[in-house]
Amino acid sequence: MLTVQDLHAGYGASEVLHGVDLEVGQGQLVALIGANGAGKTTTLRAVSGLVRPSRGKVLLEGREVQGLEASRVARLGLAHAPEGRRIFPTLSVEDNLLLGAYGRLPILLGYKGRAVASLQRVYDLFPRLGERRRQDGGTLSGGEQQMLAIGRALMADPKIMLLDEPSMGLAPVIIQEVFATIRRLKASGITLLLVEQFAKSALEVADHAYVMERGRVVAQGSPEELKKQERVIEAYLG
Amino acid sequence: MPSVVVAQMVVSGALMGLVYALIAYGFQLTFASSRSINFGQGELVMVSAFVSLTLTLHGVPYWAMIPCGMLFGALMGLVIERTGVRLALEQKSEGWILMTIILGLFFFSGAENLWGRDDRPFPTPIPSDPIHILGVDVTPLELSVGVGVLAIMGLIETFKRRTLLGKALEAVSTDRDAAELMGISARKSIMLSYALSGAVAALAGILVSPITTVGPTMASALILKAFSVAVVAGLDSGFGVVLVGMFLGATESLASFYLGSGWREAPGLILLILALAVRPTGIFGKAVIRKV
Ligand SMILES: Nc1ncnc2c1ncn2[C@@H]1O[C@H](COP(=O)(O)OP(=O)(O)OP(=O)(O)O)[C@@H](O)[C@H]1O
Ligand SMILES: [Mg+2]
Repeated sequence: MLTVQDLHAGYGASEVLHGVDLEVGQGQLVALIGANGAGKTTTLRAVSGLVRPSRGKVLLEGREVQGLEASRVARLGLAHAPEGRRIFPTLSVEDNLLLGAYGRLPILLGYKGRAVASLQRVYDLFPRLGERRRQDGGTLSGGEQQMLAIGRALMADPKIMLLDEPSMGLAPVIIQEVFATIRRLKASGITLLLVEQFAKSALEVADHAYVMERGRVVAQGSPEELKKQERVIEAYLG
Repeated sequence: MPSVVVAQMVVSGALMGLVYALIAYGFQLTFASSRSINFGQGELVMVSAFVSLTLTLHGVPYWAMIPCGMLFGALMGLVIERTGVRLALEQKSEGWILMTIILGLFFFSGAENLWGRDDRPFPTPIPSDPIHILGVDVTPLELSVGVGVLAIMGLIETFKRRTLLGKALEAVSTDRDAAELMGISARKSIMLSYALSGAVAALAGILVSPITTVGPTMASALILKAFSVAVVAGLDSGFGVVLVGMFLGATESLASFYLGSGWREAPGLILLILALAVRPTGIFGKAVIRKV
């Protein structure tokens, strides 16, 4: 589904990624873990087109997408729920969700009618979003905003979803809810690339995981394999 | 009856002021999507007015000329975005400021060469015999300015609130990256906002020209006041420009009546100076100035 080969990217003159390789298969949940500043977010940004890679390839279903505008990549079926959620605070919850499906809805009128089924699916998954559909996105709590960010990504009916630290800044109870949601998404067959600080929880849900350090992948394998590796245990699971 | 005279001045001034509001609204449109504005907007108003005049003189009926003129303005808006703005924004520089000023100068000398330096009358089928409304005399021509300005602004605001494309524009203006992740092209949104801004500038020219005449120098007179309005009303709030524009128009016409026509430009300048003194970050807001 998604293949990343020798990806180099950075900000201005400073290179952050020094050749990242990873692979996400159809229906897989792949976790990307690593310390602060390892380059996890940059990897996702370079995959979705928010950062232009200076070298390397990003293949979405075998098609090269590196260097395309992020909006093009999104329309090809990649939904990226970014770090910090980045919902549109001045738009209503429902408008936020509708924009998630922007690529496949009529852009002038009649868009609501065409989105009824997808909206309902998101409201079934997150009933609280349904209750607050007319509220401005900015008035939601942190946990609700994370649900909105995930729901907005689901609205696109994506082939693959990138999820960057959905647990960031949330209370432990809410984090458990977020991971419950991730399990449900996985059960529904969606392909997911998950970035997480909470390596333990991430390894519990993942089919495969990559460990990043200073812009490189330093370990990878199934969660069971990784849990056996000394340096992974020391650094992330200790 | 001085109070009648005052009311008279205030009403016709305020209606003129709506033209400044409309031009300032054009600044808001592009600022929302791209944090940039066209400093040659006055020249765009002027050139569009000249093109519309030429269409009229070639026998195009008034009501058909308006959409054609606006289309021309929209196209010029796209040209300005492509040649003057896009590259600078991609490189995160403020080069667009100089570039749009230079494009304005091009438009100015182009107009002088094509149409000459003289002010020319702009024919219109809308009568200019005053009608009596609530104790003041207003000409249908002046009323048409008000109706035209409020209609186009209402139309665009409705478009922004009701259509998914309009919401997408709002998304781009609040968080460009997040909007891109939704599949919304920021580049196309900026193009659209420049096209709308150009169309709005053209309409301002078409509405005001029958009252003021058309000439290459109309640009500088209009743009200064539009700037004043934009600085005072701010570049992000939709209808604030309407109030400030009407206020400025009314003040202007009172000043020229009581102090002499030489004082007509004074209120706009005073307003601009005051606004900049109170809000030194001025027209660009904080973000841009900090970088400059
Ligand atoms: N916008 C930016 N401009 C310049 N440097 C940046 C920018 N964003 C990130 N960096 C740098 O790139 C490196 C990797 O950052 P990145 O955000 O990808 O790490 P991360 O693994 O996601 O970390 P975290 O777990 O804290 O989110 C860091 O050294 C950071 O300082
Ligand atoms: Mg990160």
